[in-house]
Amino acid sequence: MASREIVRYRSPLRSVLQGLSILFLIFFFVWTVLPLLIMVVSSFKDLLDAFQLPEVGDFGGVGVMFDFKPTGAHYVELFTEKHFGVYLRNSLIASLGSAAVSVSLGSMAAYALSRAEFRGKRDLLFWIISTRMAPVVAVMVPLYVIFRSSGLVGTLPGLILAYTTFNLPFAIWILKGFFDNVPYAIEEAAQCDGCTRWQAFRLIIPLVAPGIAAFIVLCVLFGWNDFLFASIIGSGGAKTLPVATAELVQPVKIQWGMIMAAGVVTTVPMMFLGLLIRRYLVAGLTMGAVRE
Amino acid sequence: MAAVTITDVWKYYGKTVAVKELNLEIKNNEFMCILGPSGCGKSSTLRMLAGLEFISSGDVYFDDVRVNDLPPRDRDIAMVFENYALYPHKTVYENMANPLKLRRTPKQEIERRVRRAAEILEIDPLLHRKPVELSGGQKQRTAIGRAIVREPKVFLFDEPIAHLDAKLRSHMRGELKYLQRSLETTTVYVTHDQLEGMSMADRIAVMHEGVLQQLGTPEEIYNRPYNEFVAGFVGEPPMNFLDCTLERTNTGVSVVHSGFRLALTERQADLLEKGGAEADVRIGTRPDNLAIEPGADGALEVPGEVFVTEPLGGDMIVEVTVGSDRVMAKTKIGPMGGPGEPCRIGFDVDKVHVFDKTTGVAYF
Repeated sequence: MASREIVRYRSPLRSVLQGLSILFLIFFFVWTVLPLLIMVVSSFKDLLDAFQLPEVGDFGGVGVMFDFKPTGAHYVELFTEKHFGVYLRNSLIASLGSAAVSVSLGSMAAYALSRAEFRGKRDLLFWIISTRMAPVVAVMVPLYVIFRSSGLVGTLPGLILAYTTFNLPFAIWILKGFFDNVPYAIEEAAQCDGCTRWQAFRLIIPLVAPGIAAFIVLCVLFGWNDFLFASIIGSGGAKTLPVATAELVQPVKIQWGMIMAAGVVTTVPMMFLGLLIRRYLVAGLTMGAVRE
Repeated sequence: MAAVTITDVWKYYGKTVAVKELNLEIKNNEFMCILGPSGCGKSSTLRMLAGLEFISSGDVYFDDVRVNDLPPRDRDIAMVFENYALYPHKTVYENMANPLKLRRTPKQEIERRVRRAAEILEIDPLLHRKPVELSGGQKQRTAIGRAIVREPKVFLFDEPIAHLDAKLRSHMRGELKYLQRSLETTTVYVTHDQLEGMSMADRIAVMHEGVLQQLGTPEEIYNRPYNEFVAGFVGEPPMNFLDCTLERTNTGVSVVHSGFRLALTERQADLLEKGGAEADVRIGTRPDNLAIEPGADGALEVPGEVFVTEPLGGDMIVEVTVGSDRVMAKTKIGPMGGPGEPCRIGFDVDKVHVFDKTTGVAYF
């Protein structure tokens, strides 16, 4: 294999660009990581400490922000008085459930669309993705009516179904691309080895694992971060974390400490999901046993 | 181990005909090669035998069992694909064990058979590697290993060594032939490389545009081609074809070309009369059967002019302009004039073939 070395030569322009890119990265870091840091730190402060801020321009006074006595009271309160345990569970069930349903249905549909040729296939594919083109708000009212008459409002299955309607088209499109890259000859070989079509399909699932992993992340994120569906269709019986967090903003007293703690509770599981699935995202992308 | 019978098989893709009325009987334990250029229907035929494609019409029998409606797994075949089609996420061992595992073979038996196949193919040190860590030849051996761990009724090979480099290919030809002889299993081998067919097969079926052209042993295919297509497809360098006219005189029959006149033997003349040959014919002669010598005043009967010489080490190919045509002659390497210089060539009349100009069918 030829070397992939990227050849770079020094030039004044390159030095300037390098300086600029470092500057950009610093701003980017402040912009993206600082809010998270403030969130985590504030979640451990009581209300008085939380508003100990340095004067504008007083960079030496930054230390004030970290001069506090850590307290876990907000977390305790969240899980005892505000029932965040239940909401956390609801969020997990709704997002993971929708991901599971979308993956199993989506991979089968994607496989069929990838392997079979039939009249109107392109139209069907376009129709599938076009269901994602309308903004969620546009279909919310009719969806609500349908869900209410089916008795699905305020239930977790209802929420799973709602997320699935939006995740499934996406799943089909992403996974179809991955199945397209798996040579059909592998399944033919499997059939000659003695597999049924269904066994052959299962055999190649590991080859699309990176696609499935990527899609699970996107799918879970959609459900986990969703506010609109959760507040309207999930309202009442199937309250999820974002909705519960929003309810902490009460007219008389905005509970900053608890809001920050709720933010941490909402963020941490997704970070773990990312770490867990990263392995699959990378692994397998370079597997090539068939000569192209 | 089974005889394969193909009767009146057609294959259509939409309106395109891939295989036309194919009749072929493959004997038990025979090494049959289906040879033809790309798009001749040879792969479609093989895939119909495997059950990977439907048979549009006609029947395929393994021994006495009609297999038309059986899925691949119930036909008891093992196939090796052109692009190997290994399972990328499984090791060499797992790849080879898969067909046995699917048949619920006991674990020790799987282990024993995989090891044995790996030893035969000399890939036993690689059993724990994944396909991505293998070279082309090793991948191909693994694919063959996956086929030979079982004892299937029929081996199907779809251009298995087409992607290997030339040296490895010639090595694998010998190995495959040896393997087939020692395993004694009916084998159908599809290739576009006439050398593979000639060197390995018991019999060759030459196909062109979906139609079986000739079925015979390599010797028959080479020495008695049924038509111009078979004659031109088999042999390297390819046969020379020249448009000629027949001249019938009291003393016998000759073929006349712008560059020479060639008296045919009595046997050949009889065959032409029996075939009802018309005046316009095409003659064919293999480059090996053309003698050539440099210079204008040699003993050989036909004068020519060197066009180009291609030395091949021990032999060389000389392209010679004769009359209005160009022919190739293969000879031992030696002095030969440069382009434009005169030379003389001689035909081996016994080994000249004459074809009908319109149908391409050989008279002899």
